[in-house]
Amino acid sequence: MSERFAFLGRFARNRGALAGAVIIGLVALAALLAPVFFPTDPLRIVAAPELWPGEDPAFPLGTDSLGRDILSMLVHGARATLLIGLFASAMATVIGIGVGATAGYFGGWIDEAAMRSAELFQTIPNLIFVLTIVVILGSTLQNIVIAIGIVSWTPIARMTRAEFLALRDREFVQACRTMGMGNLGIIVGEILPNALPPVIVLSSLVVAGAVLFESAVSFLGLGDPNIASWGRLVGDGRQLIRSSWYISAIPGLAIMVTVLCLNLIGDGLNDALNPKLRDR
Amino acid sequence: MAGELSGSSRRHVALRLLRRRLVQALPLMLGVVVINFVLIHLAPGSFLELMTAENQVSDPATVELLRKTYGLTDPLWLQLLKYIWALLHLDFGFSYRQNMPVIDAIAINLPATLLLMISSIALAFAVGVAAGVVASAKVRTLWDSLVSVVAMFFFAAPSFWLGIMMIVLFAVKLGWLPVGGMETIGGGGGIVDILRHLLLPTLALGLFYAAIYARVMRSSMLEVSQLDFVRTARAKGLSRRQVTLHHVLRNALLPVVTILGVQMGTVLGGSVVIESVFSWPGVGSLLFDSVSSRNYPVVLGIMVLGALVVIAANIAVDLVYMWLDPRIEIR
Repeated sequence: MSERFAFLGRFARNRGALAGAVIIGLVALAALLAPVFFPTDPLRIVAAPELWPGEDPAFPLGTDSLGRDILSMLVHGARATLLIGLFASAMATVIGIGVGATAGYFGGWIDEAAMRSAELFQTIPNLIFVLTIVVILGSTLQNIVIAIGIVSWTPIARMTRAEFLALRDREFVQACRTMGMGNLGIIVGEILPNALPPVIVLSSLVVAGAVLFESAVSFLGLGDPNIASWGRLVGDGRQLIRSSWYISAIPGLAIMVTVLCLNLIGDGLNDALNPKLRDR
Repeated sequence: MAGELSGSSRRHVALRLLRRRLVQALPLMLGVVVINFVLIHLAPGSFLELMTAENQVSDPATVELLRKTYGLTDPLWLQLLKYIWALLHLDFGFSYRQNMPVIDAIAINLPATLLLMISSIALAFAVGVAAGVVASAKVRTLWDSLVSVVAMFFFAAPSFWLGIMMIVLFAVKLGWLPVGGMETIGGGGGIVDILRHLLLPTLALGLFYAAIYARVMRSSMLEVSQLDFVRTARAKGLSRRQVTLHHVLRNALLPVVTILGVQMGTVLGGSVVIESVFSWPGVGSLLFDSVSSRNYPVVLGIMVLGALVVIAANIAVDLVYMWLDPRIEIR
């Protein structure tokens, strides 16, 4: 228990990380409570088009080219953005840990094959791959998550492999082997918990990357058509940058702040989980 | 000492590295082709259906003939083998939309994309390295914090949004630079004209990477400057400036060069988005058109050529790496 407090203390000492966590918490809260604040469909037309922010107090962030409430779309869009970021990162982490742990633990040709396939996925231009997968499988939330997960696992696999390589011949692992423990038990129960801290830091950064990926996909108009995700809002505002540039500016700012806070959280986790590396 | 190798033997080592990397690239390319080929054939409708629909071909005999011509009646593995065999002869198939071979359609668009990629990487490298050096030289001062904060923002800003915001400011409001395209329509096309069109897309794509390089360069400089040989150089009586520029900088560049190689594919992917924002007539626009019209021979061709560009860039990075650090052994 006291260790957990020590961890929280180290995390909170990094003021940037703390601020990031608070802001992401607020964004997540807004996303959760979106149906409470804005019970109607955010894609419904509610006012005159192209109202500037502040022009009408009922719509503090203004309205878009069709007269839809930008604040409502932004709050509802936070759900898609955060969910896709979390799930895509979770998927990349599961694939990455699976591949990296197997490669690092067994070594030999398995390691060789795993690392060559990681190289393969780094060679294919990732965003092009994501767009192709989404177009082929269809523009739904699940498929976007799958596509981003498939292109984001390689750094996690490399990191997990390196940790496993360093740990697999340590005494506690040898002791487990002598006791007759199976490979799966050693990998999951013994080595993985020790290998996890740097991997967690990396997957928190993958969340930020996934948010950026998703925003690019939906900016290009290939996102889920039923969801007002932030990238799509930026794309929708493009035609009007001469008269109403705020329509693109506001959701883009939301993406930037979210990604910034996620990165700050990643830095904070790094400080808290790897205290030895703090000054690097 | 490896550092005292004669010029000709350095060249010899470089050639050996080149040969080795080219051999390693073959299975990698094969993997890229197989993965993408299989992925594209997972697609529900074939491009043939779209093509026949667009051209209003409904005669079953004609459709069957087309299926045969495009080899769609063969089993998947045979189609794959035939595709690889054709690739070996630089035959990427035929694009019915552009009505020309796929390779020609890509070749028309590739120079613009390469120009954008190279200028963005060059900008990212120059700005990132300079910022990192300044931050590390003035560590824990206002300059250092300034670099960190600015880098943090550019690391988080989506490139397409940054692009749009720069268009609003520099093209629409101030009118200094063009809104998009690669040259002014009618009376454009000189080098200055292209450079003016290139500036904003380069900034939008490159500043993200500049932010990464600045962070990596800063910590790398700090790490290298604590090594023994730097102290020796200082003890020899060299000035701080000389030591930084001739000893620390060269060694500190190594991690930056490494990540630059790893990120080539990402830069190519990013250029797709930036090309869409700035109507840049590159491979990204072609890809976008082909993806939406399910013109899969072109999509596949872009994937394969894109991977080839990434591999070539990585080999170039390896050679630069060897030049920077002669101690590097060839794996």
